[in-house]
Amino acid sequence: MAHSAALSSEQYNYDIVKKFAIASIIWGILGMTAGVYIASELAWPFLNFDIAQITFGRLRPLHTSGVIFGFGGNALFATSYYVVQRTCQARLAGGTFWPNFTFWGWNLSVLIAGLLYLQGFTQGREYAEPVWFVDLAIAVVWVTYFLIFTVTLMKRNQPHIYVANWFYMSFILATALLHIFNNLAMPISLTSPVSYSLFSGAQDAMTQWWYGHNAVGFFLTAAFLGMMYYFVPKQAGRPVYSYRLSIIHFWALSFMYMWVGTHHLHWTAIPDWTSTLAATFSIMLLMPSWGGMINGIMTLSGAWDKLRTDPIMMFMITALSFYGMSTFEGPMMSLKSVNALSHYTDWTVGHVHSGALGWVAMISIASFYHMIPRLWNTTLYSMQLVYTHFFLATIGTILYITALWVSGIGQGLMLRAFDEYGNLAYTFVETVAFMHGPLVARAVGGLFFLSGMLLMAYNIYMTISRAKQEEGVPATAAAKA
Amino acid sequence: MATPVKDPLTGAETTGHVWDDSLQEFNNPLPRWWLWTFYGTIIFTILYWVMYPSWPIGNTYLKGIGNDITYKTDAGEEKTTHWNMRALLAHDMQNGAEAIKQQEYLAKVGAASYEQIAQDPDMSSFVRSYGVGMFGDNCAACHQSGGQGVVGQFPNLVDDDWLWGGDTTAIENTIRHGRLGYMPAYSKTFDETQLNQVANYVLTLSGEPAVDAAAAAEGQKIFQGQAGGCYMCHTKEGTGMHAQGSANLTDKVWTIANLPAAETPEAKLEAVKAVIHNGVKRQMPVFGKDGRNLSDTEIKVLVAYLQQMSGGATAQ
Repeated sequence: MAHSAALSSEQYNYDIVKKFAIASIIWGILGMTAGVYIASELAWPFLNFDIAQITFGRLRPLHTSGVIFGFGGNALFATSYYVVQRTCQARLAGGTFWPNFTFWGWNLSVLIAGLLYLQGFTQGREYAEPVWFVDLAIAVVWVTYFLIFTVTLMKRNQPHIYVANWFYMSFILATALLHIFNNLAMPISLTSPVSYSLFSGAQDAMTQWWYGHNAVGFFLTAAFLGMMYYFVPKQAGRPVYSYRLSIIHFWALSFMYMWVGTHHLHWTAIPDWTSTLAATFSIMLLMPSWGGMINGIMTLSGAWDKLRTDPIMMFMITALSFYGMSTFEGPMMSLKSVNALSHYTDWTVGHVHSGALGWVAMISIASFYHMIPRLWNTTLYSMQLVYTHFFLATIGTILYITALWVSGIGQGLMLRAFDEYGNLAYTFVETVAFMHGPLVARAVGGLFFLSGMLLMAYNIYMTISRAKQEEGVPATAAAKA
Repeated sequence: MATPVKDPLTGAETTGHVWDDSLQEFNNPLPRWWLWTFYGTIIFTILYWVMYPSWPIGNTYLKGIGNDITYKTDAGEEKTTHWNMRALLAHDMQNGAEAIKQQEYLAKVGAASYEQIAQDPDMSSFVRSYGVGMFGDNCAACHQSGGQGVVGQFPNLVDDDWLWGGDTTAIENTIRHGRLGYMPAYSKTFDETQLNQVANYVLTLSGEPAVDAAAAAEGQKIFQGQAGGCYMCHTKEGTGMHAQGSANLTDKVWTIANLPAAETPEAKLEAVKAVIHNGVKRQMPVFGKDGRNLSDTEIKVLVAYLQQMSGGATAQ
């Protein structure tokens, strides 16, 4: 085992994978800290201290970009570069320069965009807040990423392309398409970060949510399914449950997702038929999504005992369970009648986080715990800490989403309640006062999750520094092998 | 080339492909329940497409069948159309049980006088229920949800002291047209001595002890004479004028200088001096036409609700 890993580290470009993995953990801690802070601002508004730069409106995009593009994006770069090399048995294309270009280009883009948010510069498009010149830089980085990934696939030493790579490929292609079209904008001058969207009115809104929901679909779902398809069977030591299911659900997922974005705009000034199509494609998306969950969970058949002994496997199965739950919740919420209750409430925010914390973060965390020791040719510093992390993350996620079910569904019901005179029973401010308790619980949930991340950072740091010590003492490494 | 392998644990066969030393895939069929549920969602979708507006065709789109909505247009004509959210809103607002109940009450209250509303328990209850929402959505942001206001900024509405008049007509006018409250700053008019004298006098108007009785006597001359001209708005007696929105200084109700929070006579004097020195500029927005566009009936409900809040009786 150690023998083949030692070979891998020379055969493959692991340096770039290491960089992205570490950047991902750093961004994860930064982004989640911002998240806990703004969650606390919602519960205790005095926390903005009347400082413009740290008000909710400025910090919120910093949180979302930090966790989606910083934590999630770096995790995807890291794992896709790792997976594509190992499943193609080919070294990453682009030498050392181009992969490094994607690393610095991506991270500087997210950093500059984030600093500009704090100064109030944003496109005002959810998850597409970076200003126009950052968008241009991201486009260049992304095309480079696409070329590195594709050329590596083309020079593979394997007859077939492994399923994880289909998902990574669809993520890279779709993200390029979404990013470029949603960010078509005219700067007011070449020296200003401010720009105007090329679209207007309902078309602008629909373009934005075509982007917004497919960022969820391809960036936060398809790509992480790619991660799942490599790391779950690897960790379980079992074959993927069904090749046929993976084909059907891959194509169904890719086809359906592109249609559903407009469900974010139900009951607004859009044509009714667009609402219908978005709702129905969302319903049809349920089973294609669950295909991934089934394939992941059933991969464990024959190795169920690992759930008792392996905390990394516990992370993976919990991630898949949250994935299944949030992809059931999503289609339900996209029905117009349910949406009338849920929209504009915290239910939406809770739903996003059951996917973001439960699925995206947990599968990334599990993949890191699997991958990082192998990158440094060592073993994890502490499995006990992984156990603790697992419980912190799970309790945090459950606390978070149940708190926002109470807050969101509660507020939704209050806003539509009538009294015996046919009048609305509550004022808006009464619904806000009601939300205080759940919002406190949500901030506590976030804090649980963040403390798990800090534990992980410590565990990984110790793992790597121990590996470096061992490297200096060849005899120890030999003894281990 | 690729040889399928049979798994000893589950009996399933792999596709025969192997990646990265150990990655394999079983060739298991699609789970039946998965497939049938997927078909179910497709059938649901097709029914949905038939019933509701769905696919675009040229310049139009499939309108949906079996789902027509009948409603009255603004012009009062009855109209039947395919399902759409605007017609649905109009229909619900015209036919919903809650909406009908509310409209009946609004019509009744709109036709009644304030005395009739106050004497009718049913209408009074409606006003309380409708008013709390109206007040919460339109007034509470400044006057606070209990109507107690914020000293120095937003008048207290529940204390029987009305800057612009407390009868129903005056309150209606205040809501409908808004108000601009203004007292000039005396920072340039008065020197420190004069400021001290006038402030001492103003304290005595509401029965507070003057910090300096001699100064208060001088202050009275300034207040009632051309040097200060305070009497022009506040009257010689200091009772104020509703037409000006000038405060009654004799009623022991302090709406701008925060006397209740001042503990010593000196602190009270400072509070009054600050108001005279800086002047006052306050604005209540327009809630009638060209402002928030509240209807006559809505304004009436608000006034009746205010009457209830401030204790029922309204000074005429």
